[in-house]
Amino acid sequence: MDIIVCLKWTPDTSEADLAIAGGKDIKKDDLDYDLNEWDRFAIEEAVQIKEKAGGKVTVVSVAPEEAEEMLRESLARGADEAFHVWDETFEGSDGFATARILANFIKERPCDLVLTGTLADDDCAGQLGGMLAAMLDIPSATLVSKIELADGKIRFNRELEGGLYESVEMDLPGLLAVATGLNEPRFVSIRAVRKVANMEIPVLELSDVGLEASQVGAEGSRIAVETMSLPPEGEGAEILTGSAEEAAARLAGILKEKGGIA
Amino acid sequence: MKNVFVLAEHRKQHLRDTTWEALAAGRKAAAELGADLTCILLGSNTDGMAEILSKECGKVLVADDPGFETFNSEAFMKALPAILKDRGPFLLVMGNSNSVLDLAPGLSVVLDAALATDCFGLEVVDGKVTATRQMYSYKVNTTVSFKNADRIVLTLRAGAFPYTLSGAESGAREKVASPLGDGVLRKRFVGFVEAEQGDVDVASADIIVSIGRGIGDEPDMDVFQSLADSMGGVLACSRPIVDKNFLPKYHQVGTSGVEVKPKVYLALGISGAFQHVGGIKGSPLIVAVNKDARAPIFRVAQYGIVADVYDVVPALEEKIKELKG
Repeated sequence: MDIIVCLKWTPDTSEADLAIAGGKDIKKDDLDYDLNEWDRFAIEEAVQIKEKAGGKVTVVSVAPEEAEEMLRESLARGADEAFHVWDETFEGSDGFATARILANFIKERPCDLVLTGTLADDDCAGQLGGMLAAMLDIPSATLVSKIELADGKIRFNRELEGGLYESVEMDLPGLLAVATGLNEPRFVSIRAVRKVANMEIPVLELSDVGLEASQVGAEGSRIAVETMSLPPEGEGAEILTGSAEEAAARLAGILKEKGGIA
Repeated sequence: MKNVFVLAEHRKQHLRDTTWEALAAGRKAAAELGADLTCILLGSNTDGMAEILSKECGKVLVADDPGFETFNSEAFMKALPAILKDRGPFLLVMGNSNSVLDLAPGLSVVLDAALATDCFGLEVVDGKVTATRQMYSYKVNTTVSFKNADRIVLTLRAGAFPYTLSGAESGAREKVASPLGDGVLRKRFVGFVEAEQGDVDVASADIIVSIGRGIGDEPDMDVFQSLADSMGGVLACSRPIVDKNFLPKYHQVGTSGVEVKPKVYLALGISGAFQHVGGIKGSPLIVAVNKDARAPIFRVAQYGIVADVYDVVPALEEKIKELKG
């Protein structure tokens, strides 16, 4: 079972103070970058499948130079090889253009299964897996958990709404975009990190993936950002100020008044 | 733009509300673009659903095939390009549901169309379509435009486009032959798996204390259970808490978990991603504690405290005990 896992290098914006730069993106200089959280579950799933069924796990990311640490950490998590796909012309690629880059990479490396995370916290789009599968002409599914292999096919659950799931069977090769929580990503030991410290991570550029500059970056994208803005402040909640004690005291009063204390 | 198409979504032979929200957005766009509005229904034994649709939309395209019964994205991806092929430029809208999440990205590729997902705004300016969505932990609003204005696919955030059913139309129904052919699919629906039931029924609780990522990686769960107990409420959570196995799935509030309607919803360390907020819309009082003043939860809450939950919760429990005497 050969598996390719596609990884995204994303800024951690969940608790950061964000600012807009130039009207079309956020200011990213001060943000910490890391592996997209959903993708961590995809790597773990790939490694667990390999441990059961044999085969090889390859990780790949279309990401700038700094992302090497993410690829190396993925090797420490149990991936067998990593590829770093980057070219200056990739800057500004939307989901479609990024999927095109990955599709060309994967076409040269036939595998049984492609795994991704369903969503990424930066674009919140959830589009890459489905686009990539369509470009590769393989079946796909999103929000996947409980993956099982049987007779050259794969069976899994897909998350629907309200706690409902659907059980689905799919032929291989195929692509699964996983849900968070489908496994428990392993702890990476210092020993595992040391073991992969000198492994080579090939860097592939535009021509290595058989594309031209017009097919990637802003030019190769299908959507363009017109404006980006922070929602105006002062909308929404009345903020209870003061020390934690004082705020808690006011909150207790409000809860009592509104039936929040039974 | 010649056509605005709305894809009807169904499950277990019933149209889903996302259909009506998509229709509301599609109607607005069609009026502003001067385009024809058409609903597309791909289903099995479609008569009942087609009749309901034709009361809300002036034109309904229907293709009937057993392969469409379970909203299998592969069947839809095969059929829709064949159905849309000779109908000219289009804007295709559908709800951003978990079923559509499987369909829209791949469909946009086979239709050679641009895609924007999870849009809460749809505008037409000088005949040009733009869509507004959120990025970066749902904290930033982004308006996007489309390079090829003749082929656009949009998925719409639940709740963003309110609708009322009028029943006033008597839409023309056009039956089209199913383009599925032999019906052999590489992905096959096996069955539904119903939600796991637990010892706590979050859906019917009047008072909910709900915890999220902000409680940290090694949380002291007793602190939160104790607060919930002091309020006479139950403990619930957002997705990351279930992912980390701190609470079972039946505690999870949100569109993929349980939808709740308590009198009071106290959100502790919950950022307020829309999937979570979608599950608490029915709560008359939402109160949030989060150390990030920009957390989206503060936009839906009536009261908020900007602080670390561990600084607030013990003090809050103490004050509540005092008030109870």
